[in-house]
Amino acid sequence: MVTVDSLKHVDILIGLTDEQIARVAAICHTETYSAQDIIVREREPSDEVYVIHKGSVEVILSGGQVTAEALAAAGPESIISMGQGQILGEMALIDSGPRSATVRCTTDGSELYVMRRADFVQLCEQDTDIGYKVMRNLAADLAFKLRHRNLSWK
Amino acid sequence: MIYKVSFVVQGGTHPGGIQNLEERPQVGDTLTMGTQAFKIIEVMEIIPARGDFAYLHATCRPIDEKKTKG
Repeated sequence: MVTVDSLKHVDILIGLTDEQIARVAAICHTETYSAQDIIVREREPSDEVYVIHKGSVEVILSGGQVTAEALAAAGPESIISMGQGQILGEMALIDSGPRSATVRCTTDGSELYVMRRADFVQLCEQDTDIGYKVMRNLAADLAFKLRHRNLSWK
Repeated sequence: MIYKVSFVVQGGTHPGGIQNLEERPQVGDTLTMGTQAFKIIEVMEIIPARGDFAYLHATCRPIDEKKTKG
């Protein structure tokens, strides 16, 4: 079960009341992954947004086919490790495009909260206060990731 | 306060990462990303805090280079 307290550790929900966070929790479910499991694959259609509740993942750019064999053979580039509270697949919320990278679980027993894009967008449109705050927070999250990327290149 | 930290690794092959921590990281602290251990050598605020979140950047080094490969 996805609780309000656990979602308070997610910064795209900054500024939401407990009641609003409960509405977000109601459209989430939990999925559990083992180390090496592929959570999303680069270039595939995207329909879900993930929040890491427990454990860790790595984001991988393969530049080609995304199968376990191809990842092993091609030496894909791991571009970032992400832990509790981080959001994955947020670009799909904004542009509906395909997955920009592959995400692989790195910790056994990792638990991710999953929201269907359509449910999340519908909630944001029904309650525009939630929508405004979440979109502002999403922009801040993307900016933070860009700052991280810039600092990584220095 | 929750500390959202951008970790950049100096040396080794690890790409760095982003983690939420319940305590502010300090120089000399160790942390793990995946199965690898790192020592923090620099911490700075990256953007002003919002809500219950503080946003930091930390530079770290692998504690054991052998563990950072593969």
